[in-house]
Amino acid sequence: MMKIAVVVFPGSNCDVDLYEALHTVCHVDVEYVSHRATSLDGFDAVMLPGGFSYGDYMRSGAIARFTNIMPAVVKMAHAGKPVFGTCNGFQILTEAGLLPGALKHNNGQKFVCKTVPLEVVNNQTLFTSEYQVHERINLPIAHADGCYVASQQTLDQLEDHHQVVFRYADENPNGSLRNIAGITNEQGNVLGMMPHPERAVEAILGNTDGLRLFKSLLFNGTVKA
Amino acid sequence: MVNVRVFVTYKQSVFDPQGDTITKTVHTIGHPEVESVKVGKFFDLSLDTMPDQIDTVVKDIATKLLVNFNMETYTYQVLGD
Repeated sequence: MMKIAVVVFPGSNCDVDLYEALHTVCHVDVEYVSHRATSLDGFDAVMLPGGFSYGDYMRSGAIARFTNIMPAVVKMAHAGKPVFGTCNGFQILTEAGLLPGALKHNNGQKFVCKTVPLEVVNNQTLFTSEYQVHERINLPIAHADGCYVASQQTLDQLEDHHQVVFRYADENPNGSLRNIAGITNEQGNVLGMMPHPERAVEAILGNTDGLRLFKSLLFNGTVKA
Repeated sequence: MVNVRVFVTYKQSVFDPQGDTITKTVHTIGHPEVESVKVGKFFDLSLDTMPDQIDTVVKDIATKLLVNFNMETYTYQVLGD
């Protein structure tokens, strides 16, 4: 059984959603870990939640990446263990250099909060093996700084190495280059995405399209362990 | 004490939605001669350091913290004491 850490930063507001998705819905051993902690020893995976760490001061995620816990997150990423960041968690992972590119203010200037269609571009990852490739799913987004940008060279590399995992389908809600909604690192063990799979895991709330992301990770983590 | 102002803006290649919107409004108020407006932010640093160290200190802070070079660039100006 995997043991998963959910990091809580000042201003995180989706930490409970992640915890409940893992604990209540997936029955996984999960613990909150403060940004003040310096170790993730004993955990098999770590997740960075959505929210507005440090009030999004300066740039989203730019302050959180210097918190005590981040060297431990980097260590887990370099050890090949699963690292997942959604929304602000994605922003923190790019600021920390664990994922390429950056998330800038939405081109439309507005905070966008709605459910959007996505294409699963790569299902050969730890996080997406329970989806079909090119499958369309719907997940909620809620962000002001979700426009993914990177150099043309980086974008080409992402495509060449199959690191683009999710793309916005039909519409691009924030101006992200090449409609990118989620990417992994080259090794495939770090996933960052702007949509919120943890908000779509229970039928009673109207959408379970996010559940298979967690099921994928648990299946692959258990098999590998 | 030396005061330094660090200006951070989007790189030329990155779309600046605020600048684009403001440019259109500048045209609306009767200034079609304005080709573009770029929006950025500035940080005022008060440094207790020797003048020959200013460049090193500012570069270090800018590159590690103030600027994300995936989308931004910066300049700085020494404002004086």
